[in-house]
Amino acid sequence: MIHFQAADVAALAPEILLSAGAIVLMVTEVFLRGERRGYQALLTAAFAAAAFEAFAAQSGNPPRAIFGGFAVQDGFATFAGAVVCAGLFATALIGAGFLRPRAAERGEFYALALLAAVGMCLLVRGADLLFVFVALELMSVSTYALVAYLRVGTRPSEASFKYFILGAFSSALFLYGTALCFGATGRTSLSGIAAAGGGRLLLAGLGLILAGLAFKVAAVPFHMWTPDVYEGAPTPVTAFMAVGVKAAAFAVLVRILLSAFGARPFAAAWQPLLEALAVLTMFGGNLLALGQRSVKRMLAYSSVAHAGYLLVAVASTARTGRAAAAAVRGEAVTGLLFSLAAYTATTAGAFAALAAFERLSGSEPQPWDLDRFAGLAKRRPWAAAATAMLMLSLAGIPPSAGFVGKLLVFRAAVDAGLVPLAILGVIASLIGLYYYLRVVVVMYMEPAPAGAPVSPPSWPTDLTLVATAAIVLLIGIGPGPLTAAAAAATGLLGG
Amino acid sequence: MIETVLFWIFAVLAVLGGAGVVLSRSPLNGAMSLVGAFFALAGLYLLLSAQLLAALQVLVYAGAIMVLFLFVIMLLNVGADEVRQERIGPIRGGVATLTSLAALALVGREFLRIRFPFARPPSDFGTVAAVGRVLFSDFTLPFEATSLLLLAGILGAVVVAKGKI
Repeated sequence: MIHFQAADVAALAPEILLSAGAIVLMVTEVFLRGERRGYQALLTAAFAAAAFEAFAAQSGNPPRAIFGGFAVQDGFATFAGAVVCAGLFATALIGAGFLRPRAAERGEFYALALLAAVGMCLLVRGADLLFVFVALELMSVSTYALVAYLRVGTRPSEASFKYFILGAFSSALFLYGTALCFGATGRTSLSGIAAAGGGRLLLAGLGLILAGLAFKVAAVPFHMWTPDVYEGAPTPVTAFMAVGVKAAAFAVLVRILLSAFGARPFAAAWQPLLEALAVLTMFGGNLLALGQRSVKRMLAYSSVAHAGYLLVAVASTARTGRAAAAAVRGEAVTGLLFSLAAYTATTAGAFAALAAFERLSGSEPQPWDLDRFAGLAKRRPWAAAATAMLMLSLAGIPPSAGFVGKLLVFRAAVDAGLVPLAILGVIASLIGLYYYLRVVVVMYMEPAPAGAPVSPPSWPTDLTLVATAAIVLLIGIGPGPLTAAAAAATGLLGG
Repeated sequence: MIETVLFWIFAVLAVLGGAGVVLSRSPLNGAMSLVGAFFALAGLYLLLSAQLLAALQVLVYAGAIMVLFLFVIMLLNVGADEVRQERIGPIRGGVATLTSLAALALVGREFLRIRFPFARPPSDFGTVAAVGRVLFSDFTLPFEATSLLLLAGILGAVVVAKGKI
């Protein structure tokens, strides 16, 4: 009666490791008496690294369905899962530096982060809409609780409430779309939906699924919650939302579009939709970021803008009648995966910078304002240099990982015949130059205000900051290995 | 014969309950209508000889979830006059009506294409044994993922309910 093999369980090794980590952290917290909780962040980081290794060990395996087709093991899921684990690693380190001075370091925080990561890793390998929904909820519920973790003042309360309500709403949209797809085809598995095909009802289901996921990736016009939630959430959680949630949601979006709706009539329907979303998101994010004085809010809009660039890659994967479609699709998925990895490293670092310079006290209003960055080049030259590097990567200036990512994405768009989209993307990222460089200018050109309070230095945060900046620079100088890994990971089961 | 009569009774009750949820001004009446609709649905499941599903419907939906709803409504003491009376303009009303009609047409068209009668389900359909067997064999992965989801929910509730971290 058992419908799975030992190999299926082995394929889930990363998720099992992360779940074990969550349970260990949750249970040990109960027995703690003193204040010695320094091990928690390191343990979380260790479990994240172990899960990363488990994903890396799977990288060469041939793609196959596991657990009766509910999930798959393929290069795409492996790469995206490894990116999620890297994001969790950085989040744990930023969390250590952020929570300890606020006397809020508890096992629950890290356990929830690990559970959210389990949800993300399951999400990227989900091959059945029913299972995708369970994984989506596991990710979302853990994230709601993390956003509500530190509720000092009105802004964090507003953020947690807003994220919970809108997140539940978007999950409901996704679920309704799933129900319509089931009604149209009688299947919930992606391959089953692709085989059955269907008419307008299936298209309506796809539309609702797209809307639900567009909420999660914060695409314009579904981005309204992003600035408030990103600003109100604790900084490590914001970092995790910007890297983990976004990477997982993009991975599952691509899998659903390619596995279930990859056929030409459907691709012809969703490609223009995604192009429009991409243009709106790129310009919306960049234009709204221009006026922000709060760096955290600016990074929130920057994350919206980056969702736009990633949507360009997704739109380029559509199989429309052009020759060499498979090659173009491979190129687009490579660009997407590379950009996800580059964006994860860069954004995790940018939020580490924010956490390093952020005001400690919870008194409101909490302006994570630009003035905090003034004169940093004199006071903390290394941290300032790392932050400058990360801002250059976000802006897409060579040599940085962000530049290579954008290059790959826009080249895939040109090869897919979406030349106007690529040109608009370049224009949008030129707008972005202004606000990213403004941070660098403030750090290097403006003197520190008199009596500026200095945040207590914390080695995990500083380590994350400098390490991510170094990684971003190294990928920018020699993008070969990461590009090769991303190109090898485009094998999508049933894509 | 008796089955048909029972079906119509339960079906009408379910639809009336659903309409009550949408139409009643007082949140308390709406919640009670929902309880009625859930009980009627449980009756329909029984007619399909899905005893476990019927029992779960009553226990989980009509029992646990609706009690929580009523609890919140009474705790917050929301009366009919507390609900904001909003005037819906012609544009919003028109768009909403058109969208709903389009959705109804989409789903309705699919319903019209259904060919009756369906294939008979296996004789043990909806029994505890059958559901348990499927849950722990075919659906192992979603089942285990759901257990993690519940764990995350409990943990999240503890974190959110704590006054101060």
